Amino acid sequence: MQGFIKTLFGDKYTLGVAGICIFVAGALLHTPAAILAGAVLPVSLLSGAAYLARR
Amino acid sequence: MMGALIATYLTATVEWVEAYTIVLAVALSIGWPRALGAAGSALLFLAVLTTIGSLILTMIHDLTILQFIIGVFLTLFGVRWLGKAIARGAGLKKLHDEDAEFAGLRARADIHEARAAWWIAFNGTLLEGLEVWLIVVALGVQTHHTLAASAAAAVALIVVCVAGILARKPLAKVPENTIKFTVGSGILSFGTFWILESLGYKWPLGDATLLVLFGFYVLGGLALIRLYSFKSAASGVA
Repeated sequence: MQGFIKTLFGDKYTLGVAGICIFVAGALLHTPAAILAGAVLPVSLLSGAAYLARR
Repeated sequence: MMGALIATYLTATVEWVEAYTIVLAVALSIGWPRALGAAGSALLFLAVLTTIGSLILTMIHDLTILQFIIGVFLTLFGVRWLGKAIARGAGLKKLHDEDAEFAGLRARADIHEARAAWWIAFNGTLLEGLEVWLIVVALGVQTHHTLAASAAAAVALIVVCVAGILARKPLAKVPENTIKFTVGSGILSFGTFWILESLGYKWPLGDATLLVLFGFYVLGGLALIRLYSFKSAASGVA
């Protein structure tokens, strides 16, 4: 069961990285700088992948 | 659609190669009929899971919510694979070695017990296949080509089976990390695109943005591999 859940959602670090990135991009969409969300999400996700790689 | 099918095929290839190593190790203990029976049971379970997963997702009538859910799952999957591939590419983690996996499995004491070995093959195939299932359902439902995505995964399975029959040893020469890096970048591109689109963002280039995102993740990932390789080499010298 643990393997099943980990396969679907990843570990807590993956969940944290994806959650923060999506939250920030989602919040940005409700500001006057909404257009930047298209750049912020990919850049933050790549930074997240970099963080996960170092762990 | 073609991008989704290629991503599905490549994901499935990597996962079926890993499952083949497990089944091969088990088959040497309990024989091919039982090992294949265990793998077949796991594949049957995955087929049922694919059907149920697709049905549940198609029951969500709000396409925006469906797109967001699928986007989140693909992002979780993609960022994990890309991170892992960067770490392995830069030498921060060991490359996945099918020969070592095989040797490790053969050294296990319980692999010589019929029932335990059957479960090793069943669990191994199921867990490796779950990632294939996730991609088939997510990409298939979102692009309305679940059958085509399933077929891509099935073709990958046939290719790995044929290669396995011909090689009769672990398929260690498959460039697994390169595939994981490419697929991770591709899946993350789909996830990024669909999440923001579902939240109301209009991508300036429309669907063509997917290619831009893919290029960004590939180039960014390669730059990170170089950076981390350089850093680990420098710390090794120091």
